[in-house]
Amino acid sequence: MAAWESYAGKGLLFTPGASVMHRANPLTSLIVTLWAISFAAILPVAGTALLTLAIIAFAFACGIGPTTLKRLAITMIPFGIALFLVHGVLVHAPDSVRYGPVSLSRGGFHDAAVLFFRLAAMLAASLLFVSTTHPSDMLKSLDARGVSPVVSYLIASPLLLLEPLSLRAKGIRDAQQARGMDLSGSWRARIGALPAMLIPLIALALSDLDHRVLILTGRAFRAHKRRTVLGAPPDDPGQMWFRRVLAVVAVAQLGVPLLWR
Amino acid sequence: MTLETRTLVLISAAVVINIVAGQVVRMLNIPLYLDSVGTVLVAVLAGPLAGGLTGLVTNLIWGLILTPVAAAFAPVAIVTGLCAGWLARAGWFKTWWQSLISGVLISIPSTIVAVPIIVFMFGGVTGGGPDYAVAYLAAVGSSILKSVAFSNLGVNTVDKSLTALVAFVVISRLPIRLTTSYGFFAHSRA
Amino acid sequence: MALIDCDDLVFRYPYAERPVLDGVSLAIGAGERIAVLGANGSGKTTLARFIAGLLPDVAMKAERGSVSMEGRPWPAWTIAERSAAVQFVGQVPAQQLSGCAFTVYDELAFGPCNLALPEADVRARVEEALTICNLRHLVERDPFTLSGGEQQRLSIGAALAMKPRVLVLDEPTSNLDPESRDAFIEQLAALPASLTVIVFEVALRPSMALASRFLLFDGGRIVADGGASDVLTDPRCIAALGETSVARAAGSVRAAGGWPAGTPLPLTVPEASDAFAEVRRALRR
Repeated sequence: MAAWESYAGKGLLFTPGASVMHRANPLTSLIVTLWAISFAAILPVAGTALLTLAIIAFAFACGIGPTTLKRLAITMIPFGIALFLVHGVLVHAPDSVRYGPVSLSRGGFHDAAVLFFRLAAMLAASLLFVSTTHPSDMLKSLDARGVSPVVSYLIASPLLLLEPLSLRAKGIRDAQQARGMDLSGSWRARIGALPAMLIPLIALALSDLDHRVLILTGRAFRAHKRRTVLGAPPDDPGQMWFRRVLAVVAVAQLGVPLLWR
Repeated sequence: MTLETRTLVLISAAVVINIVAGQVVRMLNIPLYLDSVGTVLVAVLAGPLAGGLTGLVTNLIWGLILTPVAAAFAPVAIVTGLCAGWLARAGWFKTWWQSLISGVLISIPSTIVAVPIIVFMFGGVTGGGPDYAVAYLAAVGSSILKSVAFSNLGVNTVDKSLTALVAFVVISRLPIRLTTSYGFFAHSRA
Repeated sequence: MALIDCDDLVFRYPYAERPVLDGVSLAIGAGERIAVLGANGSGKTTLARFIAGLLPDVAMKAERGSVSMEGRPWPAWTIAERSAAVQFVGQVPAQQLSGCAFTVYDELAFGPCNLALPEADVRARVEEALTICNLRHLVERDPFTLSGGEQQRLSIGAALAMKPRVLVLDEPTSNLDPESRDAFIEQLAALPASLTVIVFEVALRPSMALASRFLLFDGGRIVADGGASDVLTDPRCIAALGETSVARAAGSVRAAGGWPAGTPLPLTVPEASDAFAEVRRALRR
């Protein structure tokens, strides 16, 4: 695999490593993730709680445990607090019991728990995927399977163009602050500062369009239906079959709750 | 639909605009999303399908760099692009006040699509600003669904109308050479 | 037959009063190294794009005339054919990047991969471009993190990886710092000898380093065509582009009456040392 130094950064959630998830073909990782998300959609709350723990454990096995846990916590803790507050405390439910100034609802807490763990499982699975799969590898796998270069371009190009423009945004903010723009001032002042920052940035983002089209056409982009792919992640018939089976299961298992009734 | 390369390049730039504009409002501590400026831009220049695609790609990219949760809201972004494109085709982006009204109109289907996602996937809570309104409304007896619908519609209306206005101003200042190369834009030329 | 033939090309931008190209005709033979000189704003870039087949496009078409390579006008060429025949490198380094390559290696490989060439061919071309353009130490870098000079070398490399027969350069050094400019001019010496190179320039030094034939572009037309000593001493050229300091110094000696008759005015430093040695000999007599 190519050197990872240039692959890290760019604000990607991707973390380099050598675990089984890292080494698996990106499409396999994707299908596994989608299966896990589909599984989380149908499990009862005990199941999703277990699934979440299992995924976190797997993340540790893959060497990205601490990062995954941290990212999970950043989203889930504030969300969880708000969720339990709204459903368990604030909403008026038939089974509410008063404890002094607040009324708590058992049914509400249960609803909150269902939602919390379901989301936790889905988020953990997705985090596992994006942390162990670099977009460049994902896109090369798609290219190798004959997917149109349009898809690859639409994902790769914004990722690469993002950082330069983001830096310009910070530069413009610093320049405006040097000219006296107050970020902690009244909301009216801040809204007024918005056009001064946004419009030049957007104009800048659009200034290169003509040139990019020329460069792409000049390098024969989309001249042929399929193009050569260099360094595509290795794939094998075993993984291909595994993916097919898992994809079918992922879709079929969504029907299980209906059968349960 | 065959996507021309020049539309692709526009979409790519617009996705970046969406993300960076979102960063700018956070820098300025303004409680709006403003993350669809690029989507509306593409919709007006290149049509509803291109606009919808811009929305989809934006949320996928968010998923790769910030949090996969963003991918759940892809349908909202797609609908924003589609509606903006349809309004543009109907000639509703020719003047600034039309664009403002279009923004308000766009916020309605965009909220309609967002509310079920927020309620059924996230229990009505997103970890964002509208949560306070939702909490308040829930406390005074509204159902979760109604609370989410009202609070999000409020924010969305302001957000999308400002978005549409910014998109209009930007387009009006683009060089003619650029805008004439996008055929769909003929619908919006005054 | 000329390799590239431009026949009475007339082009006007939409909503423009006057045509920026007003009857341009020129013929370029295989293997030539040509500099087209023109002042800023003269329309050089537009002409360069027509020569390289980037124009006409969907929105902009010529009023009259066309550019042909090997007898076929550019619109008759497919994208794949044209990309393997001619490559264009523009002024602003960051604008020459494809924008969808994560590394320098991928950027160089982008074009050949688009042509669906076998993997071994692609890798061979990339290796060659890395060597010719001195990019090997940058191979894993993100193209957008390179300096202007490095990005310009990268775009030349990417152009060469397409193995074109013609390379069109539009003011390739104007956006570079002086050090990168010198490095770039040295780079031009490393280009394959069979490559036809046309550089559109406003600066004299890069053009003289590369070209043996000079065309002066003024008022929408080619008004002079010849060697360095013919075109660069043409008063219209001097008015538009100035002179090299060497030529100016020699000119003032001549104006003061100290220039020996029959000795041509030097344009470059090597020429100058011979010429001024002549002047000194004449003064001693």
